[in-house]
Amino acid sequence: MQYELRYQVIEPKRNSYQNVIDRLGDQPATRYQEATLDVEPRENFHYRPTWIAGRELYDPRYSALRLTDPYTFADPRGFYYTPYVTNRAALHDEFGKTLGYLEDRDLLAKLPDAWRGVLASVVIPLRHYESGAQLVSVAGARFAHGTSVEQCCTFAAFDRIGNAQMLSRVGIALGGGTGDVLTTAKQEWLDGAHLQPLRRLTEEIMVVDDWAEGLLAIDQVDALLYPLLYAGLDERALLGGAGPYSLFAQHLTRWFADQRKWLDALVTSWREDPEHGAANTGHLDRITQTWAPRAQEAAAALSAVVDDRLNGATP
Amino acid sequence: MTQAMPRKRKLPLKERYALLTRDLDWQPSYVGKEQLYPYTSYEGIKVHDWDGWSDPFRLTVDAYYKYQAEKDKRLYAVLDSFAQSQGHLALSDASYLNAIKLFIQGVTPLEYAAHRHFAYLARYLEGPAPRFAALCQSVDELRHAQTQIHTISNYNKYYGGFHSWSKMHDRVWYLSVPKSLFDDAMSAGPFEFLISISFSFEYLLTNLLFVPFMSGASFNGDMPTMSFGFSAQSDESRHMTLGLEAIKFLLEQDEANVPIIQGWIDKWFWRAYRMSALVAGMMDYMLPKPVMSWKEAFELYFEDQMLGGLFPDLDFYGIKPPRHVGDAIAEKDHLSHQVYKILHNFSFAAAFTTSTPTEEHSRWLASQYPDTYQQLYQPVWDRHRRIEAAGGRVFFQGLPQLCQVCQIPMAFTETDDPARISFRRSDYRGETFHTCSNGCQWVFEREPEKYVQAWLPVHQIYQGHCGGPTVPDVLAWYGIQDGDNGEYQGSPDARSWADWHASNPSPAPER
Repeated sequence: MQYELRYQVIEPKRNSYQNVIDRLGDQPATRYQEATLDVEPRENFHYRPTWIAGRELYDPRYSALRLTDPYTFADPRGFYYTPYVTNRAALHDEFGKTLGYLEDRDLLAKLPDAWRGVLASVVIPLRHYESGAQLVSVAGARFAHGTSVEQCCTFAAFDRIGNAQMLSRVGIALGGGTGDVLTTAKQEWLDGAHLQPLRRLTEEIMVVDDWAEGLLAIDQVDALLYPLLYAGLDERALLGGAGPYSLFAQHLTRWFADQRKWLDALVTSWREDPEHGAANTGHLDRITQTWAPRAQEAAAALSAVVDDRLNGATP
Repeated sequence: MTQAMPRKRKLPLKERYALLTRDLDWQPSYVGKEQLYPYTSYEGIKVHDWDGWSDPFRLTVDAYYKYQAEKDKRLYAVLDSFAQSQGHLALSDASYLNAIKLFIQGVTPLEYAAHRHFAYLARYLEGPAPRFAALCQSVDELRHAQTQIHTISNYNKYYGGFHSWSKMHDRVWYLSVPKSLFDDAMSAGPFEFLISISFSFEYLLTNLLFVPFMSGASFNGDMPTMSFGFSAQSDESRHMTLGLEAIKFLLEQDEANVPIIQGWIDKWFWRAYRMSALVAGMMDYMLPKPVMSWKEAFELYFEDQMLGGLFPDLDFYGIKPPRHVGDAIAEKDHLSHQVYKILHNFSFAAAFTTSTPTEEHSRWLASQYPDTYQQLYQPVWDRHRRIEAAGGRVFFQGLPQLCQVCQIPMAFTETDDPARISFRRSDYRGETFHTCSNGCQWVFEREPEKYVQAWLPVHQIYQGHCGGPTVPDVLAWYGIQDGDNGEYQGSPDARSWADWHASNPSPAPER
């Protein structure tokens, strides 16, 4: 049984904003759709930017990769601001609980030396890599054409600071609550031979003019580093008495799986675009050819150090 | 097995925050600084030590997510319950929604523009600490744009004028006022953007540009918009402290920055003040239950708090009150009336409706403006009322001339003679350009090469870029639907409102 509550029914005159109705028909729309579709201004810009010649304030020409209609791409996660922060609040809450657990039991201090070394000289320095990736992603937040695309870049940029802060907090915990580990990790980032291919590559990607090329170049690096250092070391850590490493790394693995969702979908949209698909595919292939070998080189230098440290260690 | 390290002192909060934010940065050595940050020198601003930036707030990413997710959970709960309970029926009157139409058409797109261009600062400012602050603000501004869209979504289902806000912002004449202001800021360099938006917009004038809509919501039963306002308050206070830190930081870095920044304060005060004229008209004429008059708000929030409080502090750095502030003060008894006359005359081409003020409202205006209302403006409204009583309604036939800078129709009067339209002319490259005031003329002559680019809606109509030569052609191109525009009495909104309340014991208030 349930009771029957009488309430006033008023027939709506329209179910959504007109631009959404024009695209999808007059039916109830999702909050993602209303918050995303056609939000970016399209025309009648008053003044030309003083900081770049030959471009409008919003302009598809900020990248060689184009979509005929940027709203053919939709974030498969359906993220607008609120679901984004809600999702990430949970991720960081869980990370915080993990870190709290590790700190309460002093588990990072009890890591085997080899694993402490991997953390301090390979993994923690990547907080700077994350910061560089943030700079690259935020260029998309400004220059990507279409709210559907740029808001993914915006969230990715903020994610990167989140990742950098997760790594930094592990570093602080590893340093017994001090900044010592972060200081030496920064020195490694600046001078350590094993990190220089990555730092050089990161800096060169940071100055790429085309925001989409920068984003994809960083993704070439991510696609190697994340599996290598987080998912890839998981089993080794569990078998090698470094369970705490696995506990912390799972959060970054989870993030990377989430990042893949929208970026893979965007690449598919670029490739399949009815008008620009062929040209996009050419650019995408060129971008991979340019940056993949560099990413390989940077990841190999880190992989060698990891293997060296861990193979010498007792299980 | 390593021994557990002895616990050392816990990191002080400030140091910990620096490690989690600015210390992530490093000096690049494989690429040049000029390659990485190409836009920080051409405006002439000198920064010697970016570390001198003191963080105006300390919010780590995990804390940010947590607070914001909680706030949004509460906000969306209000939106859902308002929608479910047909809360719009409890508004003071459907005509109130004209203010919210102006808001989503004129202000929400500015939130979005701020989102995009704070991302530009988050990319291009050289200092990592202000870059991070800009990133936070960029994400916040996206929040504001999107939560406003959702807040207003429910009204859109039942009332006209909300449905095409994004297209209208790009096309409709009165919306070129806010759009051109933000385009002006975004097309400037990074430091001018920072001063224009973070300081002038968010700090100096926010209580006159943004807050009046939220207060109006609260007085008129608009719970969703009011809840949005409260929910945005903590974000806004971060943005305001960023604006204040930005200006102090730049002033402290080098004395040569002082005159540059003074020029920007002079320019951006006037630009933002001129845009606030639309808000003035809204405050005094569009709210069935007014909050306070424009004049009172201007005196409290600008004259007392800014001229009386902020500028004496800035005097220490050699910063003077904005150049044309005297003109703004001189016209505070006139601004809202002159603007609403424009809107009333031209609302046949607007995506909101207007009405002659009721006699009761007219008495309130007279009490708020004892020196000008009955003398100058009430006779105008009395004339309209007489014509309307006989079944007529006067709209202005033809298209107005627009100010080349602020893009408001040229209808403001001289500050010392309310009978004479203020009209300034400047010549540039053999052509004549018209502006509405000393302030706009000064802004024009400072950067004529910029303002001659303006997309002036009236010129564009005459040049045939706006859908066709007739008014219906242009309205169709604007996306205005039947009944969005014109007179409120008898409009679809007014008729629906009366129908929905017909079976209720308390009838709609008479307008």
